[in-house]
Amino acid sequence: MARSPGNTMVRFDQVSKRYPGGKEALSGVNFELERGEFAFLTGHSGAGKSTLLKLMMLMERPSRGQVLVDGLNLGRLRAGQIPYLRRKVGVVFQNHQLLFDRSVYDNVSLPLQIAGYSPLEAGRRVRAALDSVGLLGMEKRNPVELSGGEQQRVGIARAVVNKPPLLLADEPTGNLDPELSAEIMDLFMRFQQVGVTVLIATHDIALVERLGHRRLILDHGQLHEDATIAGGQYV
Amino acid sequence: MSEPRGNKAANNRQSGGASLQKIGTRKRFSAWAAHHQLVAVETLIRLLRNPLGSLLTWMVIAIALTLPGALWMALDNMEQLSGRFQESGRISVYLTPGTDSRDGLALEQRISTLSGVSATDFIDADSALDDFRNNSGLQSALEFLTDNPLPAVILVEPPLDIGHEQLMALVTQLKAYQLVDSVQLDMAWVERLQAILSLAERLIWVLGILLALAILLVVGNTIRLAIAARVDEIRVVKLVGGTNAWVRRPFLYTGLWFGMVGGLLAWLLLILCWLLLHDPVGELAELYGSGFTLKPLSAGAAMILLLAAMLLGWLGAWWSVSRHLDEIEP
Repeated sequence: MARSPGNTMVRFDQVSKRYPGGKEALSGVNFELERGEFAFLTGHSGAGKSTLLKLMMLMERPSRGQVLVDGLNLGRLRAGQIPYLRRKVGVVFQNHQLLFDRSVYDNVSLPLQIAGYSPLEAGRRVRAALDSVGLLGMEKRNPVELSGGEQQRVGIARAVVNKPPLLLADEPTGNLDPELSAEIMDLFMRFQQVGVTVLIATHDIALVERLGHRRLILDHGQLHEDATIAGGQYV
Repeated sequence: MSEPRGNKAANNRQSGGASLQKIGTRKRFSAWAAHHQLVAVETLIRLLRNPLGSLLTWMVIAIALTLPGALWMALDNMEQLSGRFQESGRISVYLTPGTDSRDGLALEQRISTLSGVSATDFIDADSALDDFRNNSGLQSALEFLTDNPLPAVILVEPPLDIGHEQLMALVTQLKAYQLVDSVQLDMAWVERLQAILSLAERLIWVLGILLALAILLVVGNTIRLAIAARVDEIRVVKLVGGTNAWVRRPFLYTGLWFGMVGGLLAWLLLILCWLLLHDPVGELAELYGSGFTLKPLSAGAAMILLLAAMLLGWLGAWWSVSRHLDEIEP
């Protein structure tokens, strides 16, 4: 299938990232993710997985090269435009970054409040998001009362509530046992089925191999495609 | 013509379907206004929930505002006082020495018919000397005088509401009479008082500006602590696409509330000052035979005080937020 620009969700062009102090986290990274694609990003810890994800959110800027997300050249975005990029990208973290001074509902509705949804519309979407992660009925609870797996799902609900076209996850199953991990991965795959582009950074090789999706492997800042299933045959 | 436009609209709907741009401008504005309302209420509740910590800041602001406010009130009253003296400014018309009393009385008659004169009093040279003898304590010394050195005087009292120019015109008119030696308007000390008052006003400005800076620093520091306490929240908000304005908003409202409540407390303190001083000042004025009463700060001045307090709170918060917010990045 031809890769027209309109079909590309993410593109890295010769991207390098050198942190102050000289450590090169990424060197000459090239890859593309098509709309609706599902891919894993694997590699040893410190291989640059988090850096790669952060570049897509403009939490970091590349030292060299170009990053394009949903047709936007991130190098050309001014500081004032960054929030609008981030509204297009849902992120899930290993430590899920929930706010414990407010309810599950308020955590999940935060992106909608920011984007300016009316409370009525926001309510509908929050319930839909919580339903999709199997937490309907927990709106009023405080995240502290929930188990690790449940907290992670709240984080996922918050990442998808605004229906972003791109969903990134950084070690989303890092703290979970294998059974819960499989459930979380299952969730991500369901989002892909409704058209969301998904990229998951993980070092859980066993899980990745069992699920058998496209694999991007980072090794000391260099990116390789997994030869066995490379080629993006999922499009 | 209508077809392409229809297509465009359809395209917009389509492309907007899965992405972000699905909220209309009007909806966006009402959401923005609703967020302002929400944040205003939330921040006030947050402040009231920690009354002790907030009270400290409020009191500092209130006291810093009360000081210039009290001076302002005092100045206002002094101006009222000086105005009253100015109104009762009398004109002494000294006649040429040796003027006959009958001529003097005749002149008094003529002067009393002038416009801008409400009352006149003629004091001939002899009674002026008597007055002086009785009041000065120089009785024995005056015995040696063979002649009366004092001139006869006509005291002219203009009406209370006379304007400055009218008064000056009256003085010129009085000077023109042949029998008149000199005319003295007792204004010099009023002018001196006014100079002192304008100096005091300048002083209030200097003091006010210094205390305003103090308020900026206090609010700025309080907001800095509030930001430090909410770093996690700010980080998450920025992560999910919160603009700087969105992040700033609650802190700006907090500053506004600090200023407003501090301003209201300052107002209360000033009323308290007035209540405490009103009676003693009245008694003192009575001892001097004056009907002067201490006026409280006018409603207009109180509004200015309150608005200034709110502005200072807001500015302090803005200063603090703009300094510290950029440092917090996800």
